[in-house]
Amino acid sequence: MSAQTESSTAVSTTSRAGKYLTFFLAGEEYGLEILKVSEIIGMQPITRVPRMPEFVRGVINLRGKVIPITDLRKKFQMDLDGNEDSCIIVVQMKGIQTGIVVDRVSEVVAIAEADIEDAPSFGAGIHTEFLLGIGKQNGRVKLLLDIDKVLKTSEIEALEIAQSHAA
Amino acid sequence: MRTPVQQLTLDDAATLLLQLEASDTADLTKLRDALTDLAFENRVPMRAQPFVARAARVLGTIIAGSAPDSAAAFTEVSESIEEAMRICDSSASPAAAPAPQSTAAPTVTKVAPTQASLAAPSVVAAPVAPVPAASAPVEPAPVTAEPVRSAQHDAGSDQVPDDADLLPDFITESREYVAASEAALLSLEENPTDEEALNTVFRAFHTVKGTSAFLGLSRIAAFAHEAESLLSRVREKEIAYARGCADLSLRAVDMLGALLEAVVTALASDGKIPLPAGYHELLDAIAAYDPALHANGVTLATEADDAVTDAVRPDISPANSASNASAGAAPSSAAATAATAARQARGDTSADATIRVRTDRLDRLIDMVGELVIAQSMIAGDELFGTGKSHELLRKVTHSGKIVRELQDLSMSMRMVPLRATFQKLARVVRDTAVKAGKTVQFVTEGDDVEIDRTLVDILGDPLVHMVRNAVDHGVEPPHDRAAAGKSNTGTVRLSAYYASGNVVVELIDDGRGLYREKLVKKAIEKGLIESDKGMTDNDVFSLIFAPGFSTAEKITDISGRGVGMDVVRRNLESIRGRIDITSVPGKGTTFAIRLPLTLAVTDGMLVRVGQERFIVPLTHIHMSFRPEPSMLSTVVGHGEVVLLRGELMPIVRLHRLFDVPDAVQSPLEGLLMIVGDGNRRTALLVDELLGQQQVVAKTLGAALGKVPGVSGGAILGDGRVGLILDVNETVALAQSDEVTPLQRDRDRHQDVAA
Repeated sequence: MSAQTESSTAVSTTSRAGKYLTFFLAGEEYGLEILKVSEIIGMQPITRVPRMPEFVRGVINLRGKVIPITDLRKKFQMDLDGNEDSCIIVVQMKGIQTGIVVDRVSEVVAIAEADIEDAPSFGAGIHTEFLLGIGKQNGRVKLLLDIDKVLKTSEIEALEIAQSHAA
Repeated sequence: MRTPVQQLTLDDAATLLLQLEASDTADLTKLRDALTDLAFENRVPMRAQPFVARAARVLGTIIAGSAPDSAAAFTEVSESIEEAMRICDSSASPAAAPAPQSTAAPTVTKVAPTQASLAAPSVVAAPVAPVPAASAPVEPAPVTAEPVRSAQHDAGSDQVPDDADLLPDFITESREYVAASEAALLSLEENPTDEEALNTVFRAFHTVKGTSAFLGLSRIAAFAHEAESLLSRVREKEIAYARGCADLSLRAVDMLGALLEAVVTALASDGKIPLPAGYHELLDAIAAYDPALHANGVTLATEADDAVTDAVRPDISPANSASNASAGAAPSSAAATAATAARQARGDTSADATIRVRTDRLDRLIDMVGELVIAQSMIAGDELFGTGKSHELLRKVTHSGKIVRELQDLSMSMRMVPLRATFQKLARVVRDTAVKAGKTVQFVTEGDDVEIDRTLVDILGDPLVHMVRNAVDHGVEPPHDRAAAGKSNTGTVRLSAYYASGNVVVELIDDGRGLYREKLVKKAIEKGLIESDKGMTDNDVFSLIFAPGFSTAEKITDISGRGVGMDVVRRNLESIRGRIDITSVPGKGTTFAIRLPLTLAVTDGMLVRVGQERFIVPLTHIHMSFRPEPSMLSTVVGHGEVVLLRGELMPIVRLHRLFDVPDAVQSPLEGLLMIVGDGNRRTALLVDELLGQQQVVAKTLGAALGKVPGVSGGAILGDGRVGLILDVNETVALAQSDEVTPLQRDRDRHQDVAA
């Protein structure tokens, strides 16, 4: 699987330019590749799923389908004060739908390759491997998420935790 | 026992062989076909089969012209046949007879329809029957070329079995296996170590073998068996999947396809299943596959001499060529008319009357219809209609509501299939088991038009086979015991299905010896399953037979009593949320009542509240719910809580603690205890309150979450929110293994993340 991750990184570094849906998480602006987004829905009652890691908020009913909801603020260990929880972005990767809770959806922007820089390394404790890069536009910084990696690691962690409890 | 059929057929072969020369390919082919059938259809004793098979194989080389010395080959064939005859003679004592056929003789055509193919030679040979075996070759005159030829051609074709109703399904299914195998074989060729692909093909042949053998299509079964053996050699890493092997496997798949089409042809015409061209050559090649010789490719006998095969065809009489479509001979108009008439008489058994739809699409459709129902009821419940002003609109909404509900019924019914096919298979099981056990049993079925979810039917099949076998083997007494007990000699096993309050009940009733409570209790105590039977109802005691390792059969027969026991039956049934109850009157018989949900898509659940959260507990797991008295509660070693109910001690599982639910009722005295679990391992779950019974559609929580411990899935509740469905057994297991407090768990979690 590591080979696969590497190759996807290689692909994404060559073609990071494109359209991004931007949104706010605890005051920071993030971007998501628009092709990965299947829809944006209003906040809904979330059913908590027990014995899941904290960043798994639970599940919702998306027109008859049950999909899990991830809270990236918890995942990135952000400050949780003043959350708005205004909407859920439903992303689709390899046929699996997952929702992520965000404070506010901002806009869809096209970012050119020239305006994207690699994420700098901040040293231990700060996760930058989830970033495709950092986009600059109109003097503002947008953190471009590698959502596959974000959700993949959360899925693996969730499974590991579940298994360690089951054992 | 020496039946005239097998003796004379072998003798016929020997006689015929003397008259033939290497150039008589047409007759040699027929002789070889007859011998092959002889070897495969258990017409000769087990030990003689290899010799008959060898004779057939060597004959094949003569026909193909590939035998180095045809005179020597002829000698080998006749020696093989003589050897086979010698074995037949020596095993002529009743003890060594091939029992199944001889005992089943009166119903031969019904049981194994393929045997009809060999009935023909016996008719031809009948006048010769009194002649002792040894003298047969001395008098070759009655066996003239003509009757033998037609007889042996018949031996080369197969008859459509009686229960042709099951064939279209079999064909559709098998065609899919053929297609899947082909794809898998191709990927296997690219990557010879792809075990999954290999297993796909292996399973395909295995399944087709099993089903076709059951349906009495012995040729397909025999062929699939050979192909399976070849693949199993690859699977066992005995031989490599080299080109030759790949060739053969692909050809085997093609041949399987051809054999299936032959059955279709037969169904549409006179019921004779033609033999696809190259069948024996391929069979021989598969059996003779030797990696050392054939790794780079295999040449079949047919290819070596196509001209010969072609030369054989016109020799077939017109009536037979109609059925033998693969021969390409134009059917005579008379035969064509006969075939059409036969088709009309049979009714249209075309396999294409149904469309197979992917289940995930069907499920999605059902999901969407479910959502439509919720959306529709939200519109109908809109307060706009409360004002009474929109009378006309309300009428239209009500009308659309009716359509939506009809649509819902229809979508649910799309997964349903009648139990008929399952019951029919069991008829065969009863017959075979009864014959083996030396009992006479009448099998009665009722309600075979009751419909049930397709996925349930598949899982229900195996437990039923097991139970029916048990009923015949252990339940029904041998005839003399029955006579002694004043019952009729013929036992009755009755299988009936009916709808009861949203469930399907399948009852298996036998009028045999019944279950003896004392015997069961004694055995269970011996095995350490229970301490005493105090407080156990009859049903509790009878349910002991489902405990692993529990078998009351005094002796193990080859039919039942071996390992795969009733515990597997119960586990299978529980996996489809079935419940099984036993009632029995000693000496009068036993009734097993299996209560099944109509479909797995809909769960009957109890909605419970814990704190602010709601969970659905499947109704089949709930025995009762009650609010305990203080006197019923106690603790064990300081912290293990137990409740004592009617003498039964059960551990209490606090759902709120297990699932970290805040603000839940802490004291069992203020909440409710829900008794769940089976027989001797019941558990009390502490919940806040019951919100009511509800039918819910179970869904997965999404692939991204993976398996959630203690939760089997989610369901959309009436208000559109998701409720979690508890997996009761897992929850209880979780609670038992889980003495970790939430605090500790948090610590573990951080460690996990750090690691």
